[in-house]
Amino acid sequence: MNKLPLLLRINGEMHDVLVEQYWSLLHVLRDVLGLTGTKENCLEAECGVCTVLLDGKAVNSCILLAVQCRGRDILTVEGLGRPGNLHKLQQAFIDYGAAQCGYCTPGMLLVAKSWLDEHPGVVPEPDAVREAIAGTLCRCTGYQKIVDAICSAAARVQEPG
Amino acid sequence: MAFQVHQPETVEEAIRLAGEFGPDAGFLAGGTDLIIQINRKRCAPRHLIALGGIDGLSGIELHTHEIALGALTTHKTIEQSPIFEGPLAALTEAACVVGGHQIRNVATIGGNVVNASPAADLLPPLLALDASVVLVGGRGTRRLSIAEFLRGPGITDRSDDELLVSLALARPPRRAATAFIKTGRRRAMEIAIVCVATLLELDDAGSCRTVRIALGAVGPTAMRMPEAEHALLGCEPTQAALREAGRIAAACCAPISDVRASADYRRMLVQALVPRALARCLQRIEVSRQ
Amino acid sequence: MKLSNQFAVVGHRLPRLDAPAKVTGSQIYGTDVMLPGMLHGKLFRSPVPHALIRRLDVRPALAIDGVRAVITAADIPGTRYGPAVKDMPVLATDRVRYVGEPLTAVAAVTAEIAERAAAAIEAEFDPLPTAFDPETALAEGAPVLHPDWAGYAALPMLARDANVASHSRIQHGDVETAFAACFKVYAHCFSTPVVHAGYTEPRAATARWEGDGALTVWTNGQLPYEVQATLADILQMPVSRIRVLVPGIGGGFGGKLRIGLEHYAALLARAAGRPVKLIATCEEELTAAHPRQASLITLRTGVSRDGTLLAKQARVVMDCGAYAGSGPGTAAVALQIVAGPYRTPNLLLDGLAVYTNKLPTGSFRATAGPMGNFAVESQMDIIADDLGIDPLELRLHNIVRDGDTGPAGEPLSAVSVEECLRKAAQAIGWDKRRPGPGRGKGIACGWWMTTGGSSGVYVKLNADGTATLGSGAVELGTGALTGACQVLAEELGLPLASVRLAPVDTDGVPYDYGAQGSRTAFSVGNAARAAAASLRQRIAAFAAERFGVAPERVSLEDGHAVAGEHRISIAEVARLIQLSSGGLIAQGTFINPPPPHDAARVMNHPLPAWTTPSFHAHAAEVSVDTETGEMTVERYVVAQDVGFAINPTGIEGQIEGGVAQGLGQALSEELVFYEGRVVNATLTDYKMPTAMDVPPIESILVECASQAGPFGAKGVGEPPCIEPLATIANAVAAATGVRIFSAPLTPEKVLRAIAQSEFPLG
Repeated sequence: MNKLPLLLRINGEMHDVLVEQYWSLLHVLRDVLGLTGTKENCLEAECGVCTVLLDGKAVNSCILLAVQCRGRDILTVEGLGRPGNLHKLQQAFIDYGAAQCGYCTPGMLLVAKSWLDEHPGVVPEPDAVREAIAGTLCRCTGYQKIVDAICSAAARVQEPG
Repeated sequence: MAFQVHQPETVEEAIRLAGEFGPDAGFLAGGTDLIIQINRKRCAPRHLIALGGIDGLSGIELHTHEIALGALTTHKTIEQSPIFEGPLAALTEAACVVGGHQIRNVATIGGNVVNASPAADLLPPLLALDASVVLVGGRGTRRLSIAEFLRGPGITDRSDDELLVSLALARPPRRAATAFIKTGRRRAMEIAIVCVATLLELDDAGSCRTVRIALGAVGPTAMRMPEAEHALLGCEPTQAALREAGRIAAACCAPISDVRASADYRRMLVQALVPRALARCLQRIEVSRQ
Repeated sequence: MKLSNQFAVVGHRLPRLDAPAKVTGSQIYGTDVMLPGMLHGKLFRSPVPHALIRRLDVRPALAIDGVRAVITAADIPGTRYGPAVKDMPVLATDRVRYVGEPLTAVAAVTAEIAERAAAAIEAEFDPLPTAFDPETALAEGAPVLHPDWAGYAALPMLARDANVASHSRIQHGDVETAFAACFKVYAHCFSTPVVHAGYTEPRAATARWEGDGALTVWTNGQLPYEVQATLADILQMPVSRIRVLVPGIGGGFGGKLRIGLEHYAALLARAAGRPVKLIATCEEELTAAHPRQASLITLRTGVSRDGTLLAKQARVVMDCGAYAGSGPGTAAVALQIVAGPYRTPNLLLDGLAVYTNKLPTGSFRATAGPMGNFAVESQMDIIADDLGIDPLELRLHNIVRDGDTGPAGEPLSAVSVEECLRKAAQAIGWDKRRPGPGRGKGIACGWWMTTGGSSGVYVKLNADGTATLGSGAVELGTGALTGACQVLAEELGLPLASVRLAPVDTDGVPYDYGAQGSRTAFSVGNAARAAAASLRQRIAAFAAERFGVAPERVSLEDGHAVAGEHRISIAEVARLIQLSSGGLIAQGTFINPPPPHDAARVMNHPLPAWTTPSFHAHAAEVSVDTETGEMTVERYVVAQDVGFAINPTGIEGQIEGGVAQGLGQALSEELVFYEGRVVNATLTDYKMPTAMDVPPIESILVECASQAGPFGAKGVGEPPCIEPLATIANAVAAATGVRIFSAPLTPEKVLRAIAQSEFPLG
């Protein structure tokens, strides 16, 4: 089968790639574009480490076909913030010790960001945060400091970047 | 695992492609069932007909007597829609426990229905709400009840060249409420061990005018429990009457033992949860009267 | 000993050094490694549990376009390896012993082609009789899984016999006489299933052969030096020609201790002439990784009327699977766990590791801890309730104290069980043990070791006044290396931000026994202190000469060497010494020797006396829905003796995560087998706790300083997952009156037990 040309908008930048029609977005991000910040694990939408934002909504990139992303906005952890210009969620994760091995961290950050963006101005109860991140498994932290970091970030004003 | 992806822009084009490729093709909505099944080698369609580019297949519309849901309406949209507050709460309660947010943002009600898993969370509420499905295919449009549509585990009445385009629910009557309860081994990301959806309507005397009890994960498809419903119909919904309905439902369902739970345990859960769901309906009717 | 808050760096809640890389997605993990020209490897695995290999035909794989190498046992030396018994072949030779045993390795230009090629391989088997559980494997006439077992190399102290991979014993006094004289003897049997370490990053390895015939391997394993040694054995090469790098690990928990895919990557890369990468699939992680052993523990305990423990007899059977793996060590340390932190004058404890036709097993966090603790702490509650004694009081009555000896006769110091128990009990509100119908509280206590093994580090002072710590211990996620850097920073008078970690590369950093056994911050920290002492001396000597004062008058403060009014920055010292004599770099080493023990008490036990043990108590309040059996953990409290809290945030994180793993093992996790095959090999049906399943956890850090640890620290990482299983079982028993003897405590088990019980509560 011949590869298809595909234009993808990732973190605000256009990427021109050749893809097999059956390739997942995760595969294109990591193995074609070298954006390894989005992680791979179960490849069955059970663990959430592959989470990216598609038009602002958290989705599992392992079961999303790259060709379904034409014309849509993709945000990965690489687009969330940079050293010196971190997103308030990233800063909160640092401050609260919410990253241990860090493998679920990109997925957690993005699902948290989509929730905060869906609920502007809301400082959530911890239970609401737990529900929001339930689709991303963490084996290291027991979730507590992740929840604390997200609640704290919700209360902070994002520094202009 | 290689397949081609077709991206039609109209329902007609989608159906034409489905007719052309027959069993070699599958419709792709959110992909949360289909792509996983392909990856696990449970199926190997050579052609996927992606539906995301077709306008008019998602969205919720309120009509005089019924509510129409586009097949591509996501679980998230259902979860957040104010239309399903109140008497239609069971649908929201079911939608919001399917997977995590990442799944609910893309998984569609149409996909859930067509996948027809015996344990699917949306199916019992749709059964309890007496929903219908609308299919468009090479031979035209047809509408059938969801109970007629579900034929077996993963099996529906849909032919290869038919596309599920929408579902319809009757708007609930005045003194009615629904409830949904799901159990599993953990609180999220769970395939139900048992799920229960009930609808109760009371007449002015406070007796049960309409009773619908639908169960998931205790038979080859999600199903209604007519014997249990019949026992409660016309009766005053006392605790004893609700418990009797639960007992009958437990006796009449057909669970299997699998890696998630034994058949016996599933029956015990049905016996406990049917009265609980019905009691919740009563509470909600009471609350809505105030 | 100073209190935590009297230091400048240690004892403080400082952000970990690798946090910025992790939150920006720039941290590279083993799965992220990509090399130009890289091929992808896949394994063809046995579909049957026990059989002779009649025919293996790899030609269909070779015929597929894009395949670059196919290897079977015939292509490689017949080395056997294993941490306790060298019984495991790289690829099955004449027979297979478990579903999932690798027979062939394939490398191809894409992972998809490699997978297709592996699936195309043809194999025929002649089935052999099977033993799927230890009882069958131990029965008369059972099939012997390893006919050549007697010829295997193994740790010299192990007692092995056919399907018994090892048999360890701890004994003291005379249990039978003691039982005869007891007021009552209690006997119970407990069982736990195989559980998966559950790290979110699958195992991965990438190998490349260099122009000079040396090998470079990138891995996400926990023990680079052990991987190096095992590869040297398998490839029959000297260790110096094998370079192992660990860029980053997405969790290990002991499941990434042993070689996983590195040897296949190396062998395929050699055959193909190109670098090769393998990543385990989720299914492979659930069917062929290094999970926790299933266990069957029989415990007989004799007590006096007032609840004094008089005698204990235990038989611990660990199901180690088809190859010994870490089974022998686990079966052995189970004995200290079932002895518990209790005074018991008569002991007869036997631990067996038994071969079965299931996947081999590893050292998942605190190895035998959860299993043994489930048995001993459940039984303590049963005894307490039967005697009409409060379970907390029964424990307090029997726990060891400073100056007592452990089960092998080893002296115990810095013993803090009482403090842990009392603090946990108070925090949970122990005076109201049954606060309402269907609600109950449970408590459990235990102990664990701070694993020994040696650590070497170097510390280099850089010209900008920072220090680089080079250690062969990897940062697993625990934060232990940040802790070690805090220790170093404290010793050098630097802020934590001035300490950097060198990349883990066996060519560049010294030997470390590895990130395992709760030893990392402890051991690397101590080695760093030794190096720091040497550096302080040399900085002081240099500064003293410059200042014209005696070296004893020079101190290190705030990144400077100071004596009275003289002051020079460490950066300047480092720069000047770099120019004049090659720079300031010091080596530090550390090993924690085990305490003496009574050799007469111990037979064939690889770890008879624990170094620097820690003590802990957990308490929980659980509510049970008595119509469905569903349990809700309402509150959870941990009181853990950490010796000295080097970084309280990091330690809390370890406690919270360890408890979450413990709760998973208590409530929902098990690998389910049917005739040796895992039937729930997906994350859909292997159920690890989500954020909605773990309650907030209250951590109480008890600081009973150790003699040997840096600033009095003790090992921290493993203990939190030991007590949850027993704690929950005890709370459920308090809530419902029913006792569950097998893990996990599923709602189904609880509901059935309630239904069958004559006198359920709630």
